[in-house]
Amino acid sequence: MALDMAKYRRIFLEEAADHLAEISRALLDLEKEMGNVEAIDTLFRMAHSIKSMAASLGYAPVSELSHRLEDRMEGVREAGRVRDPQELSLLFRGLETLEAMVRTVADDRELAPADEGLLAELRATPERAAAAPDPVAADSPEAVGGEPKKVRS
Amino acid sequence: MARVLIADDASFMRQMIREIIEPEGHEVVGEATNGIEAVDLYKELQPDLVTMDIVMPKRSGIDAVKTILADHPAACVVMCSALGQETLVMEALQAGAQDFIVKPFKPDSVVATLKNALEKAD
Repeated sequence: MALDMAKYRRIFLEEAADHLAEISRALLDLEKEMGNVEAIDTLFRMAHSIKSMAASLGYAPVSELSHRLEDRMEGVREAGRVRDPQELSLLFRGLETLEAMVRTVADDRELAPADEGLLAELRATPERAAAAPDPVAADSPEAVGGEPKKVRS
Repeated sequence: MARVLIADDASFMRQMIREIIEPEGHEVVGEATNGIEAVDLYKELQPDLVTMDIVMPKRSGIDAVKTILADHPAACVVMCSALGQETLVMEALQAGAQDFIVKPFKPDSVVATLKNALEKAD
C-alpha cells in the first residue's frame, strides 16, 4: 500500500510550524519560571510529535534532533524543572536548529545531518556533564602528575 | 470489518491511520485528540477497536487505556508507540491493551496487527 507522501509533507509543515511556535512559547514561559510544569509537558509532547511525523517521512536529522529534545525534556520532567539558564539556552538552540531544519524541508532542500555537538549536549544529562572529565584539566600537568585537580570557581 | 476509534493528538498520525485502515474495509467512527476525549468517545461510540497514542495532552494514552479497560474489560485497544517507549508499551499491555504498533507506521504491519488484535478480542 502506498501513501500519498506529498500530502503528509504538507501536513507535516503545517503541524511542525504550530508545534515549533508552541515550543517557543513554552521556552519563554520557562525563562520566567523554570519549574513551569505545563510548559515542560508541552515541550516534551511537541518534540515527541515532531519526531514521529519526521520519522514517518524519512526526515532523519529532524527525527534525531527532536528525539534528543524529547529525551532531554523527559529528564527535565522527572527533575520538575529546567536545571539552570545553560540548560534553557541549550533548549533554545535545539528549537532554533529544528526551525532551520523545517525551513529546509519547506524549501525542498536536502537536510544536512544534525549537528553532532548539539546532539551530544542534549544527550548528556546535567549530572553526567558535571561528572565528565574536563578535557583541559585532564591534560594538565597537575592531572598527569596525580596532584589534586583544580576546582573551577 | 471493524468500527475504529483513533486517538492521537497529531492530525498527521490520525490521517495516516485512517488512510491505512479504510481501504481494508474498517470504518473510522471517531477521532480523539487527547486522553479525556478518547475515554468519552469510547463510552459514546463503543467501537470494536481503539488505536491509542501514548503521548497525548490532558490525559496520557496509558491512563486512558486503563480507564477504558476498567469500565469495559473486553475493549480492544492497540497502542501506538514510538522509539524509546518500550516501558510504557509494557505498562499498557499489562493493563490489558491487545497489542501495539510502532511509529513510523508500516501500512502492512498496521493492518496485520489490527487484524490479529480483533481476532484475539473475539
